[in-house]
Amino acid sequence: MPDRRSLGQLTGLELDPSRPAVVVDRLTESFRLYHERPTGLKERLYRLSRSSYTEFNALEDVSFTVDHGESVAVIGHNGSGKSTLLRLLARILPPDQGTVVTNGRVASLLELGAGFHGDLTGRENIYLNGAILGLSRAEIGERFDEIVDFAGIRPLLDTAVRTYSSGLYVRLGFSIAVTVDPDILLVDEVLAVGDAEFQARSLARMRRFHDEGKTILLVSHDLDAVREMCDRAIVLEKGRISFDGDVEDGVDHYRQTIAGRATLPPTPAGRRGPVTIRDAVLNDARGGSAGQVAPSDQVVVRLALQAGRAVAACSIGVQVADESGRTLYAFVSSEQGIGVGPLAPGGTATVEVRMVAPRRAGEYTVTAFIGDATDGEVLAVAPTVSPLRVAATRRAAGNLDLAASAQVVEGPSTTVVAASTLHHDTTDASHRRS
Amino acid sequence: MSVADDLRPGAVRTLGRRLGERWRGRELLYQLVRKELKVRYRNSTLGFLWSMLTPALMTVVFTIIFTQIVPIEVGGPFAAFFLAGYLLWQFFQNSCQGAIHSVVGNADLVKKVYLPREVLPLSHVLAQLIHLLLALLVISPYLIWARGWQVLVHLPATLLAVALLTVFTSGVAMWLAGVNVVFRDLQELFVVMFLVWFYATPVLYPLALVRAMLGSEHLLATLLQFNPMTWFVELFRTPLYGAVVEAGNGGVTSLAPAWPGVGAIAIALAFAVVTFVGGYLVFLRRARTFAKEV
Ligand SMILES: Nc1ncnc2c1ncn2[C@@H]1O[C@H](COP(=O)(O)OP(=O)(O)O)[C@@H](O)[C@H]1O
Ligand SMILES: [Mg+2]
Repeated sequence: MPDRRSLGQLTGLELDPSRPAVVVDRLTESFRLYHERPTGLKERLYRLSRSSYTEFNALEDVSFTVDHGESVAVIGHNGSGKSTLLRLLARILPPDQGTVVTNGRVASLLELGAGFHGDLTGRENIYLNGAILGLSRAEIGERFDEIVDFAGIRPLLDTAVRTYSSGLYVRLGFSIAVTVDPDILLVDEVLAVGDAEFQARSLARMRRFHDEGKTILLVSHDLDAVREMCDRAIVLEKGRISFDGDVEDGVDHYRQTIAGRATLPPTPAGRRGPVTIRDAVLNDARGGSAGQVAPSDQVVVRLALQAGRAVAACSIGVQVADESGRTLYAFVSSEQGIGVGPLAPGGTATVEVRMVAPRRAGEYTVTAFIGDATDGEVLAVAPTVSPLRVAATRRAAGNLDLAASAQVVEGPSTTVVAASTLHHDTTDASHRRS
Repeated sequence: MSVADDLRPGAVRTLGRRLGERWRGRELLYQLVRKELKVRYRNSTLGFLWSMLTPALMTVVFTIIFTQIVPIEVGGPFAAFFLAGYLLWQFFQNSCQGAIHSVVGNADLVKKVYLPREVLPLSHVLAQLIHLLLALLVISPYLIWARGWQVLVHLPATLLAVALLTVFTSGVAMWLAGVNVVFRDLQELFVVMFLVWFYATPVLYPLALVRAMLGSEHLLATLLQFNPMTWFVELFRTPLYGAVVEAGNGGVTSLAPAWPGVGAIAIALAFAVVTFVGGYLVFLRRARTFAKEV
């Protein structure tokens, strides 16, 4: 075989254009779920005979090829294996089965500012973080000004990063990471942090990568950004590829799986309570599925229930929890004097609970339940009506929507086209969308 | 033939890539060592001098105890004898102590960034090495005053001993860091393990004294020879303080600083290489799954 490739190309560190950028072949990755993680001596001795973990596949039989210059979105529900896939591509995790081959310099933005040390100054952290990402001192020196300017930290360069705001911290992390000048860029939801201005700038930066013909794999819940940035989408569902193709079709496919999840799993057989929830959906104000809404938007939980026996009165409850499972809001209709009933055996009712989406961008779960109106006993639960995804509006900066509006109370007022520096890059994006 | 096959030659690829990365890891190692030193000496005007406080205090305390209360014969000034072993021990223990947490304590890095993981424990060893060299510089006037110009003449031997111990320590450090990921009790055991190890190493007393008092065939004297640290300490002490030898009357006497014997160097070298290779292999094997386990 005539082989004219350089040593760098042979080792995969340098780009070899005659081969695909990424080849993933029958990849399976499993994790152990320890029932109680044995880390100490006592536990180890105790458990020597019986293993106390179950193994599950975070990725199962995943195969795909990415060509140079492609920009691919990886989308899927929480826990579907997106981050695991990127960590395998970045070689942080070794594959359990199958192969992962990358061709060219890989940079991964899985976490910004990983390895920053609070007691070191911004300048020192740039060198440290650059080295962590594989840059030499000379390379960092060349890019130093670019990094500082992109992050906008020049006045704070010699201050300990401990004193930086979290937004600044992330910005610095991103600025360093993007100067790695990779052939393949892996990005995992890091763009969700930071303010709107930063998001816009980083998207612009990624677009530049794309235009330069770099290969991008992007994990994001921001489906609009995904559609704008990527040509292709891979949808993961429980560790398997459920879709691989054009990005528009991929986003549609993913939206359908959200809608599919909104209908309720039937109440477990054998435990037919006095009341069952036949259907529970989360809609937006217009009655469509509320897969993604803006902060403070109206959402409606619609519950259809059926009595198994005669019921005098029951109340409806709705609970909203954040990503870590912490309950943020709980509502019980009987507190407002509203109940359902009386219902004859087999009688049905439909209830709508209206509320506003949380003001803070993020992913929430909505749980609905039916309780006995008198003693509060829970009769039926719809565990997850639907994931509720709140994405920041692009009309303002920040993660918390305070619904600001301006009015000229004295003096002449005029209508202006949004020329704010906040959104240079997002305005043309919204054009495309409308 | 699948597409992945098309991407071979795999072996060249893997090996070349490994070496390439280890080479690039130098830069990271350099930055991490800098970080260690900076973080440690920042915010204190006296900086480095503070870290000399422990050995200074230890020397004073042990010198009072072991010359005034329970005299230990070292064939010369006790403080010089003790320092010439204790600095080395401190380097070893502090390196290992930093390294044992280095993977577990950097979970963020290990889980989210690709890097040659051995730089994590190694950075602690190298930072301590710089520290040791500075400490040697600081106490050398005292040693020269106490033991004569011979100390300077034999400097290359001292540095050789330090180099060998660094290799040995790196092996132990990687082993500890790797095993601690799956066996967290190790860090609890660490303190007691190193306390025992300290007393089992002739830092406070000369090996010759054990031989002189118990006879060189005695079990304890034999056991001490299985402790690698015994060899490193003796190797370090010979050019810096002078070998301590049996005096024939059941006591010991010290010789002037001199070149260590080739046999002692060979044994220390063997310990260093075997430990380094062993520790590195264990670490690399474990490192594959670090990202899943930390
Ligand atoms: N180190 C780990 N140990 C055990 N389970 C893990 C580990 N990392 C990820 N998982 C599990 O693997 C699955 C996929 O996780 P992840 O790739 O993070 O999903 P996503 O990024 O799509 O939300 C999840 O069920 C998660 O709990
Ligand atoms: Mg994830």
